[in-house]
Amino acid sequence: MKEKPVDHAGAAVAFIADKPHLDFHDARLWDMRQKRDAQMHLLPEWQELRSRASAIKEHALANLADYLEEFERNAKRNGIHVHWAADGAEHNRIVAEILAARCAKTLIKSKSMVTEECDLRPYLAARGVTVTETDLGERIQQLDDQLPSHIVVPSVHKLTSDVARIFAQHYGTDPDANDPHQLAEAQRLAARPVILHADAGMTGGNFFVAETGTFVVCTNEGNADLSATVPGVHIATIGIERVVPRMADLGVFIRLLSRSALGSPITQYTSHFRGPQDGGEMHVVLVDNGRSARLGMADFWTSLKCIRCGACMNTCPVYRRSGGLSYGAVYSGPIGAIIDPTFNERRYSTLPYASTLNGSCTNVCPVKINIHEQLFKWRQVLVEHHQMPFVKREIMHMAGKLMGQPKLYRAAIAGTETALGTLPRFALYNWLNPWGKNRELPEPVKETFHSWHRRNRPAAKPGKPDNAETKA
Amino acid sequence: MSARDTILAALRRNSPDPAAHPLPDPALLGESDASPERFSASLTQMGGTMLDRGPDEPLDQAIARRFPKPGLMICSLVPEATGTVRIEDLPTPQAAEPVDVTIVRAAFGIAETGSIFLSEAQLHLNALAHLTQHMVVLLDPAQITASMHTAYLRPEFHTARYGVLMSGPSATADIQGVLIRGAQGVRSLSVCFLPE
Repeated sequence: MKEKPVDHAGAAVAFIADKPHLDFHDARLWDMRQKRDAQMHLLPEWQELRSRASAIKEHALANLADYLEEFERNAKRNGIHVHWAADGAEHNRIVAEILAARCAKTLIKSKSMVTEECDLRPYLAARGVTVTETDLGERIQQLDDQLPSHIVVPSVHKLTSDVARIFAQHYGTDPDANDPHQLAEAQRLAARPVILHADAGMTGGNFFVAETGTFVVCTNEGNADLSATVPGVHIATIGIERVVPRMADLGVFIRLLSRSALGSPITQYTSHFRGPQDGGEMHVVLVDNGRSARLGMADFWTSLKCIRCGACMNTCPVYRRSGGLSYGAVYSGPIGAIIDPTFNERRYSTLPYASTLNGSCTNVCPVKINIHEQLFKWRQVLVEHHQMPFVKREIMHMAGKLMGQPKLYRAAIAGTETALGTLPRFALYNWLNPWGKNRELPEPVKETFHSWHRRNRPAAKPGKPDNAETKA
Repeated sequence: MSARDTILAALRRNSPDPAAHPLPDPALLGESDASPERFSASLTQMGGTMLDRGPDEPLDQAIARRFPKPGLMICSLVPEATGTVRIEDLPTPQAAEPVDVTIVRAAFGIAETGSIFLSEAQLHLNALAHLTQHMVVLLDPAQITASMHTAYLRPEFHTARYGVLMSGPSATADIQGVLIRGAQGVRSLSVCFLPE
C-alpha cells in the first residue's frame, strides 16, 4: 500500500477548534518572538553575527568530512569513544551495545532531537532498558506518549491543566493543581532518585568543535548536566552537521542561540565536554541519517546550517495556529517542512504547503537559511515527482492549460463571473474549493478589462502602432 | 565498508565547493566592557544574585545570613569559607546529594551574560554543582572577561574535560510559559566578588 501523506490541514482544523489551547499557543510563541526581537535590538552587531554564523556553517559543511576526522582524532586523544551511525537503526544498535556491555538497565536522558529522529526509546524498551526523559517538557511528552511539538519547548501546546492531569496519573499529584511551580517541583522530586541511581546518562549536543574534540550542550533546567555527570557513563548523540572548526567560533553561535530561541542572552547552562570525568566513560555517536545525502542537494543543503533554535517556528503564522503535532513529524514548523521531505518525500509531501511564503522564517533565522525559498522550491520538486494531492494537481493542470491559451482563458473568465453571480453556494463552496472554507469568494464583476478594452478601442489591432488607423 | 568510511565518502562526494565557502577570521564583536557592574547587571537578568556582604563582614557570616536555616549541610571548596562538610567526605554523587549549599570559586566570569565558569579543577566532583540546592560563587573581579567572544580565548576551554558556564540558577518555562527559577539544578546562585 502506498503511504499516505500527513494530513496537516486536517490536523490544523482540529487544533484551531480548541480555542483556549489555540489562543495560548499563539500568544506564547509570539511572546518568544518578541523577546527575541528585544535581544536583537540590544546588539548593533546582530546582522554581522548572523552573517558570520552563516559563513562559518557553510564553510564547515563544505569541508565536513575533514572536520569530522579532525574532531574524531582530538576527541579520541582526550579519551572519548567516537562511534559513527549511518542511520537511526545503526545509532540505536550502538547505544544498546554500549549499555549491554555495562549491564545498564536504566538510562536518564536529556532532550535530543536526533534520538527522536532515530526513535531510540521504543528500541531500548524492547531490550529491557528503562529510559527516563529528564527535561520537564520532554518528560511531559514522554508520559503523554506524544512527539515533542516544538524543538525547544516540547510541550508548548499544553496548558497547566493538561500537565496536572498527566502528573496526577503518573506521579500521584493533585489532578486539580493549577500552579506551574508546584508541578515543576513535582518533576524535580520525581526525577532526583531516578537520576541518582541511573546506570547511564545520555545527552544531545548543540555544537562540536573539530579543533579540540569538545562537544557543547546548551540547556536551562540543569537536567542535562545531571544526566551527564551523575552516572559513570555519558553517551552523547550528535548530528554530523553540528561541527564548528574552532573553539573561537563558538562565541558567535552561543550569542545567537538562546537569544533567537527564547529571547534570553544565554542558556542557564552552557556545558563543554572535552573528555570523561575521573573514573567515568564518555561516548559520542555521530549520526548521519540522511544528512550526507542532503549535502548533495543543491537547493536544500544549506538547511544543514540549522542550529535548532526554533525562531522560524515561533514567527510562523501557520505553525502558531496549527501546532507542532499537526506536522506529523519529528521536526515541525518551517524548518521541519524543508527537512522532513528529505526523510520521506511522499509522507511529508504536504508540509511545504504549510506556509504562506511570507518569508518571516528566513528573516529571523540566525544562520540565514533561505527557508521560505526552500519551501517554494520543494513545491516545485514535489510536483515534478508527482507528490501532489489529486485536487491540487488537477486544478493546477487546468489552470496551466487555461493560462497558456488566451481565447480559452477569456471564455473561462466570462463563465466564472456568470457562475459566481448565479450558482448556488453548494456548487461554489465544497471540497473542490478549500480556499472558500473560511473565506468568501469575490463579488463577480460586470465586465472584464479585456471586454471593456475591446468595446472602447474597437479598431486597435494587436501588433500595430496606435496611429495606424488614422493613416489609413 | 564501515559506517565511518561510508559517511565520509558520501560527504566528500556530495560536498559543495570548499573554495566558494572560506572560513572568516575570528572576530571580537560588540561591547568590550568587562566591568563588575556589567557582570552584576547581566547576572541579575539571568536570575542570579550578588551575595549581600558588608565591607568587612566575614564570608561565613554573610553566607549564614543568606541561608539562616539551622542544620544546613554546607560544602566549602574554598579556603575563604568553612562550611560543615569537606568535599573529601563526599566521594560520590550519591553522597553529595544531601548538600544544601556549595561554595566554590569560579575560574572566570563573563560580563555580557553574567556567566561563571566551573570545571573539575574547581569542583572536584562535577555532579556537586548540580545536586546541591544552592550555590555561592566567589569571583575575582580581575577574572571577568567582556563577552562570549573573549571568553572562548581563555585557556580553560583547552584544558578542562568538563567546563560549565552557569548563568544564574536552573530554570524552566515548560509549563504554560511560566518562568520558574530553580528547576532541576541549583535553586539559587549567588556571586561574591572576592580577589583571589
